Amino acid sequence: MAQILQYLANGLVFSSIIILGSIGLSLVYSIADFANFAHGDTMTLGAYGAFVAFGVFGGLGGTVLGLPIGFFLALAVGMALAAVVAVLTHVLVYKPLDTDSIGLLITSIGVAFVYRAVLQGTFGTDFLQYDIRRSGPIPLLLDTLDVAVTQRDVAIIVSAAVLVVGLHLLLQRTTLGRKMRATADNPDLARVSGIRTDRVILVMWVVGSALAAAGGVFLALYSQLDPRIGFNILLVVFAAVILGGIGSVYGAMLGGLLIGMLHELTPLLSDVGLPISNAYAPAVAFVIMVAVLLVRPRGIAGDMT
Amino acid sequence: MSTLDVGAYSAREKGVVGLLGALGAFLLLAVVTGFLAPAYLLYLVGLSAMYMLLSMGLNVQWGYGGMINFSVAAFFGLGAYGTALLTASGSPISGGVSPVIALFGGLGLAAVLAVIIGYPTLKLRDDYLAIASLGLAEVVRIFILNESQWTAGSAGLTGIPLFFSDWPILGDLTYPYVFYVGGAPLFYTTQSVVTSLLNVVLVTVIVAAVYLFLRRIHRSPWGRVLRTIRTDEDLAETLGKNTFAFKMQAFVIGSLIMALAGVFYSHLVLFVSPQDLQPITTFYVWVAVILGGTGSDRGAMLGGFTIVAIQQGTRFMTDTGALPIGAAPLRLMLVGLLIIFIVRLRPEGILPPERELIWPDSLGGGRDE
Repeated sequence: MAQILQYLANGLVFSSIIILGSIGLSLVYSIADFANFAHGDTMTLGAYGAFVAFGVFGGLGGTVLGLPIGFFLALAVGMALAAVVAVLTHVLVYKPLDTDSIGLLITSIGVAFVYRAVLQGTFGTDFLQYDIRRSGPIPLLLDTLDVAVTQRDVAIIVSAAVLVVGLHLLLQRTTLGRKMRATADNPDLARVSGIRTDRVILVMWVVGSALAAAGGVFLALYSQLDPRIGFNILLVVFAAVILGGIGSVYGAMLGGLLIGMLHELTPLLSDVGLPISNAYAPAVAFVIMVAVLLVRPRGIAGDMT
Repeated sequence: MSTLDVGAYSAREKGVVGLLGALGAFLLLAVVTGFLAPAYLLYLVGLSAMYMLLSMGLNVQWGYGGMINFSVAAFFGLGAYGTALLTASGSPISGGVSPVIALFGGLGLAAVLAVIIGYPTLKLRDDYLAIASLGLAEVVRIFILNESQWTAGSAGLTGIPLFFSDWPILGDLTYPYVFYVGGAPLFYTTQSVVTSLLNVVLVTVIVAAVYLFLRRIHRSPWGRVLRTIRTDEDLAETLGKNTFAFKMQAFVIGSLIMALAGVFYSHLVLFVSPQDLQPITTFYVWVAVILGGTGSDRGAMLGGFTIVAIQQGTRFMTDTGALPIGAAPLRLMLVGLLIIFIVRLRPEGILPPERELIWPDSLGGGRDE
C-alpha cells in the first residue's frame, strides 16, 4: 500500500512537469496547427536560462518551500527567455513560411536542432545541477504514511498548480483569454469577428513557451540538466496531449496527469508479475498513445476547449 | 522537337553533376597527395551509399506514398541487429551464421516490424503517424537497450564479420595483398583497402539494383496509384483502390530498403549499438530526402551523399581547431538550418522528380534515350 502511495506521489511530481509541457504543445497545436517538435527543446532552453540566472542571483533572500527565493527569480528568467525565443522563432521562421502543417512540423525539427546546437555548443553535454542542496524526505509524511516526499517535490507540485490555476484564470476571466479560446476554436471565425488573431497567436507562443520552460526547469530540478532532457521527454508530452485530445488545454492537463501517473506507476507492472522494467516507462506511454489514437483519435477530452 | 522538352537536363541538374564531379576530383586529389587515406575514402563512399539506401527507402514511403515515417532508425537498426545477432562472434543468441544468410534475418525482422507498425498507424492522420511511428521506434530502441540477454544491451555487438569473410576467394582477399607483375611487386596494399573496395563494390551493386527497381515500380501503375494516394487519398479510394493495401506495400518495401542499409552498415562498421537507433538517424534521412527532392530517387541519392558530407565534413572542420564549437553541435546546427532553409527557399528540393515519372518512350518528338 505504502508502495502504491509512493508511486502516486512520484507520479504527481512527474505529472506536474508533463502538464506544464503539454499545455504549450496543445496551445500551439490548436492555434498554429502543427505538431511542434521544437517544444521539448524549448523546455530545455528554459531550464538552461534558469541555470544561468540562478548562477547570478542564486543565494538571494530566504527560502520558500525549501527552495531559495533566487530560484524562483531564475525560474521567471528562464520562462521569459523561452517566451522571447519562441516569439522570435515564430516571427523569423514559422510566420514567413508558405507551407502546410507537415512543412511546419518538419521545420520545427530544424528549429529544435538549432536550439539544441546552441545549448550544446555553449554548455557542453555534461550533466549539470542547480546549486541547491538536496534535503531528505519530509519526516511527517515519512512517519505517518511511509511515503518519501521531499520539499523539492512539494515545491514542484505547488508551483505547477499555481501556474495552471493562473492559466485557467487567464483563459476564463479575461478578455484576452476569451480571444485565445475563440482563436483556438476557429481562427477564421475569430478573425472576421474582429479579433486580431496575429496578436493572440503571439500571446499563445508566450504562454505556451513560458509554461514549457517552467516544466523544463522543474524537470532539471527533479533529475538533472543536459541538452537532451527536453527532447527525451517530448514524446511523453505528445502522448499526454494526444491522450487528452489535441487542441484542448484542459484535455492536455488531464492527459498530462494521467500519462505522468502511468509513467511512474510502471513499476507496479513488475509487482504484479509482468516483467516490464522501469526503463519501459516511456514505452508504456507511447503504446497507450497509439492505442488512444486508434480507438479515440480525438482524445478523451477531444471537444473541450 | 516536342514542346515538352523534359528529355533535356536542366541547368540545376548540370550544376549538381558538376559540383559532385568537382568534389570527387578534390577527394581523389586528396588521396593522391596522401592527405586522405584510400581506405577512408572508400569507407566514406560506402557510408554515402548506405545513406542513399536509407533515403531511397524513405522516399518510397514519404515521396511516393506521402506517409510520414519517423521510425527510419528502427528499421535501419533491425537490419543491422538482425544480421549482427546471427553472424557476430560476440552475439548473445547465435552467431557464426554466414552473412549471406543472416541478411535475410535482418530483412525478416524489418518486414515483421513494418507490418506491426504499419497496420495500426497507416490509417492515422499525417501528423499522428509521425508521432506514433517515432514513439514505436523508441520502443524498439528501448527494447534493444534493455534486453541485454538477447541484444547485448548498451555495450553493443562486436565481432561482426565482413560480408565476404566466408567466401572462397573474396574472403581470402581480406589479407594484405601484393600484386606481382613479372615477379616484381607492383602494388602493395593493406587489408583495409581491399576490404573497403569489396564493400564499395557490394554496396554499389545494391544501390544500383534498388535504384533500377524503384525507377521501374515508380513509373508502373502501382507507382501511379501511390502518387494519387499522396495527392488525394479520397480520390484514390473513390476510384476503387484499396489505399490501405497500397500504402502498406509501399511501407514494407521502403522499410526493407532501410533494413538493407542496416545490414550493409553492420558489415561495414563491424559494430552496432543502440546508439545507432537514436531518432537523430531518422531525422538525418529526412533531411536527405527533402533536400534531394521529395519523390525523387536521384534526389534521395544526392541527399544521402550530402548527409555524409555534413557528418564527416564537420569533423574535419573542427579537427583543425579553428572553430569555437564542437563537431556535434556544429553538425546539429548545420542540419537544423538546412531543414529551415529548404522548407523556406526550396520546398521541392534540389532535384525534384520531373522526367523521372515519365516513360522515355512516351516523350515523343523522336527523342530516344
